[in-house]
Amino acid sequence: MVKRLGLLFISLILLLSQAEAKDTYERYCVDCHKELPTSLQRMFMHYLLVYGGEQNMKAGLKHYLKYPIKEISVMSELFINSYGIKDKTTLSDRQIEEALDIYWNKFKVIDKLK
Amino acid sequence: MLVSKNKATNSLLKSEKKSLLRFLTLYVAMVIIIITLFSLFYYQSQEKLMLAEQRATLTKYAYIQTKRLKVLHHFFDDRTVYPRDPRFKSAIYDLEYIKIFSLLENENIHFDKEIYINKGTIHFVKSLDDFYLGTKYLILEVPDSGAWRGESWKNILGYGFFAFLFFMLFGLYLAKLFLKPMRDSIVLLDRFIKDTTHELNTPLSAILANIEMMDRDVMVEKNKIKLTRINIAAKTVSVLYQDLTYLTLEQEKENHDEEIEIKDLIHDRAEYFMILAESKQLECSLDLDDATIIIDRRKFTRVIDNLISNAIKYNKRNGTVGIILREGMLVIWDTGIGINEGKIPYMFDRYMRFNQSQGGFGLGLSIVKNILDEYYISINVESTENKGTRMILKW
Repeated sequence: MVKRLGLLFISLILLLSQAEAKDTYERYCVDCHKELPTSLQRMFMHYLLVYGGEQNMKAGLKHYLKYPIKEISVMSELFINSYGIKDKTTLSDRQIEEALDIYWNKFKVIDKLK
Repeated sequence: MLVSKNKATNSLLKSEKKSLLRFLTLYVAMVIIIITLFSLFYYQSQEKLMLAEQRATLTKYAYIQTKRLKVLHHFFDDRTVYPRDPRFKSAIYDLEYIKIFSLLENENIHFDKEIYINKGTIHFVKSLDDFYLGTKYLILEVPDSGAWRGESWKNILGYGFFAFLFFMLFGLYLAKLFLKPMRDSIVLLDRFIKDTTHELNTPLSAILANIEMMDRDVMVEKNKIKLTRINIAAKTVSVLYQDLTYLTLEQEKENHDEEIEIKDLIHDRAEYFMILAESKQLECSLDLDDATIIIDRRKFTRVIDNLISNAIKYNKRNGTVGIILREGMLVIWDTGIGINEGKIPYMFDRYMRFNQSQGGFGLGLSIVKNILDEYYISINVESTENKGTRMILKW
């Protein structure tokens, strides 16, 4: 019995520590985007096509996350009609910037071309 | 200051030479500037022409490369191999001028120019409307063969040389036109002097002969002084007359060179000018060794006369005129007004006079220099203003 309780306690701690290990991007972006048919990678390329630079893209994304409207979305008409516009973010500026930094580093083209 | 040999009195005066030299310097500088500017303009136009030709080709390449980037963008990151082309090297930069990928050999890029030459390569910068892979600037690089440059330089040097030659000939023609009025006035003056010289001979001879013939013993003191003054004036005019005669009539005569005992000649001429020296209360200092020179007596007399005459004429009252004679050297010095060192090179020019208070045409020293040059006798002028002048002749 004691053994079982011990194992349960350890599992709980591991689960909690895993949840803690998730970064801002994983926690607040990936979960919601799982449901969508377009991957975060493809969306990144959409943003890159429109904004064409790190600072420009981050600024554009941050603005969209805070004030999401159809007119400034980079997604297609069909996508927006099917899935709508995202809700206004509840994240702080710092959290948004942190998430965007991770997003940029994860999918950036620089250093990946051969 | 050693006065260089010249025949300037018969061809170009120093002042004429100076004007001509100034004009030619200015002209040559102007011609060089014009040719350089034209060369620069030609070189730049050739460069532009070559770049215009390259621009057409590189625009086509840029279109092809953009299409490839578009494909890569859509398949990224399944495909990550940057598209290569053997005809050119390329690089992509984002909106913030951050390098995304580059195959360029020369990474020094000028984003503000569309096409330019940079260290043996030609760069073509294409700004994209759609930022495939985040690309705002697509840079294409091809080698610059430099053939156009060699051809341009060949043309510049070839045509530049002929243009320079043409302008120089034109410049010489202009210089002649430029000097013509000056030369005309000198010719006119020469002709005038030649004409008047003929008219001076008879009256001057009559005056001098009559002065010599006058019996001074029966004269009262007052008249003796007057006669002396007439004698001085007549001798001054006589020197001038002899100069003019030499210049206009005798100069072309054949030389009769002979060995001259200079000491005797100087004694003779010093005696002739004594009356002039006395009129200014000048002291005469003769330090004469025996020396000889082979020269035309008539010409050497003109040299001695002019130098002694000047030493007296430009001396101060109660000053000293000195003559030193050594073998191979004659010095005539005075304690007169002297001459500014800057003017020494011009003092032998015909009609050049620095002191208007004394009479004369400015012919004497021109004749002296002419004769000395003919006999390869050097003349060195040492002069200090208000202290005196030393004329040193060496042969």
